[in-house]
Amino acid sequence: MYLGIDVGSVSTDIVVLDEGLNVINKLYLRTKGRPIKVIQEGLLHLSKFYKDNDIKGVGTTGSGRYLAKVLVGADIAKNEITSHAVAAINLDKEVRTIIEIGGQDSKIITIDNGVVTDFAMNTVCAAGTGSFLDRQAERLEIPIEKFGEYALKSSNPVRIAGRCAVFAESDMIHKQQLGYDVSDIIAGLCSALARNFISNVAKGKNIRPKVFFQGGVAANIGMKKAFEELLNMEVFVPEHYDVMGAIGAAILAKEQIDLGQKTSFRGFGIYNTLIKPNTFKCNGCSNMCEVVELKEGEIKIGYFGDKCGRWSRIAV
Amino acid sequence: MNITFPHLGNTYIAGKVLFEGLGVEYTIPPISTKKTLEIGCLHSPDDVCLPFKIMIGNYIESIEKGADTVLITGSCGPCRFGEYCELQKKVLMSLGRQINFIVIDEPSKIGIKEFLNRLSSVAKESKLSTYKKAKALNMALKAINLIDEIEKECRFYAGYEKNKGEFSKLLKEVKKEAIEAKGAEETLKVLEKYKEKVDRVEIDLFKTPIKIGIIGEIYTIIDSLSNLYIEDILMNLGVSTKRTLYPSWWVKNTALSALKINKSPIYKEAKQYLKMCIGGHAQECVGEAMLNYKMGFDGLIQIFPVGCMPEIVSKAILPDIEKKYNIPILSLVVDEMTGEAGYYTRVEAFLDLIEGRKKVCI
Repeated sequence: MYLGIDVGSVSTDIVVLDEGLNVINKLYLRTKGRPIKVIQEGLLHLSKFYKDNDIKGVGTTGSGRYLAKVLVGADIAKNEITSHAVAAINLDKEVRTIIEIGGQDSKIITIDNGVVTDFAMNTVCAAGTGSFLDRQAERLEIPIEKFGEYALKSSNPVRIAGRCAVFAESDMIHKQQLGYDVSDIIAGLCSALARNFISNVAKGKNIRPKVFFQGGVAANIGMKKAFEELLNMEVFVPEHYDVMGAIGAAILAKEQIDLGQKTSFRGFGIYNTLIKPNTFKCNGCSNMCEVVELKEGEIKIGYFGDKCGRWSRIAV
Repeated sequence: MNITFPHLGNTYIAGKVLFEGLGVEYTIPPISTKKTLEIGCLHSPDDVCLPFKIMIGNYIESIEKGADTVLITGSCGPCRFGEYCELQKKVLMSLGRQINFIVIDEPSKIGIKEFLNRLSSVAKESKLSTYKKAKALNMALKAINLIDEIEKECRFYAGYEKNKGEFSKLLKEVKKEAIEAKGAEETLKVLEKYKEKVDRVEIDLFKTPIKIGIIGEIYTIIDSLSNLYIEDILMNLGVSTKRTLYPSWWVKNTALSALKINKSPIYKEAKQYLKMCIGGHAQECVGEAMLNYKMGFDGLIQIFPVGCMPEIVSKAILPDIEKKYNIPILSLVVDEMTGEAGYYTRVEAFLDLIEGRKKVCI
């Protein structure tokens, strides 16, 4: 079995894949700014079902991939763009475009014959990503899970200015005060965000079918519909859309192990140890990197954050 | 007079050789760090380009160490760099710093008389004979060529080295030893010693590392603080990188252009897209992209600061080259707000993309 861990800004996802790369267990946890604790909790939960030597390899991804790698002793830490692409290609060889919208960033990946040909990521603005939608759902007092359903109920979506999160919000408030129906506003917001994605993130990219829509925001059927209308093509939401990054990481771990590497997984036992990060400035050269050192009790378990590999190459 | 100058890659080593050779008092600004950038941002207009801000930070840190004269090169436009010296003078004056600026503009723009006049304001500080002054200048030129050559070799052959990390270690050591050496001659000796050392590092030419060309705005691709140490990161990942725009290249290119005998292939290659100079190094960016493609590089990374007009033009041209010649190009835009995580994620994903292509032989 292979373990994939995706430590994102909003959620931390952990999946367990079997030899045939099928998902046999998945966890979707809120990161809440405490990645170490969340990973430990996730492993604690999984330790009830699996033993240490069931796990043949571990891969990590997401913005917290290096931390997670040191923490669990992963075999590979890959960026989320590659992980998402690997997971999608593994699922369906026909996929040509991936729209991925997560907690704080959105990406587009184009694929040709199972090889990534181009990608882009949002640069300046997080409008339309998960945390923004979360906030709007909260403000409208609608559970985020129901957000999409509301959008589908709309028969006459209003036009919302979606270029920037702050303006989108004030425009929504304005439309609310004019007395528009909530579902029309939500539908309008979804299409504004889809438009924003296509004109900013996907600017100049060739979007061809089959299109996959993954990441936490894909749960929102309103967004899916908005993309379908805008692109004039069917958009597919894979079954495990919310943990695709983690699946990709696990697949990459398997590839690594198949090359003959032995796993460095530290076991499920790490859930009950006290792990502390400590940052220091390296004085090795003028770069003055801020290096993070992870300590388990008094024992150093690894480093990351340096540019030259002086610290991260140290095998502890 | 205590001369200082903004950092630009390895120029500080050449500056040290020149001023020590001339026997003129000088101050090398402390190596640019996040603190330099913070100081620079605090005192610069918010929407000016990133190099301006780092340079202001350099000046202020140098003034604190005793400098009273800034020596910089100018360009008289057409991009914002042409306004740097005037605006920077104003910024420093508004801070109540008394400081002189010596701007070395191209002779074709300011006239040969004024050019020599400005040069002599530095040279007259030295009590040495004209012959010895010329010798100091020659040593400085030798120094910049040597150190840039060392860096180029280290960065390119990093992908081929037998023992990982050797080139990166040598590169760090040479810079440290060169700056600690006493006197111009000693510094040159250090550089010569390391040039030999670098040539002797064991390489395996059967390796097939990813080869990436670094193109874009000259300051941000040279200055590692502004490009978030991209070359060091790539070097550590075992990627071979090549960048043509080094300070030594600039010296040679400017001199040849001034004499109207510049036959660099860059301009020939750029011609089909960009016939004239639009400021900055847009032509060089496009020309380099073509040259790197022809030399069989796997991909290109273009880096430029937010709001850089010339590079925005070349960025609009690059997708055409990308498509026509099937070479992946990643454009990275940097300023003091650039988030590290997203930046490195893009670079890593770009390397994966190239590796994926190499596997299926595209």
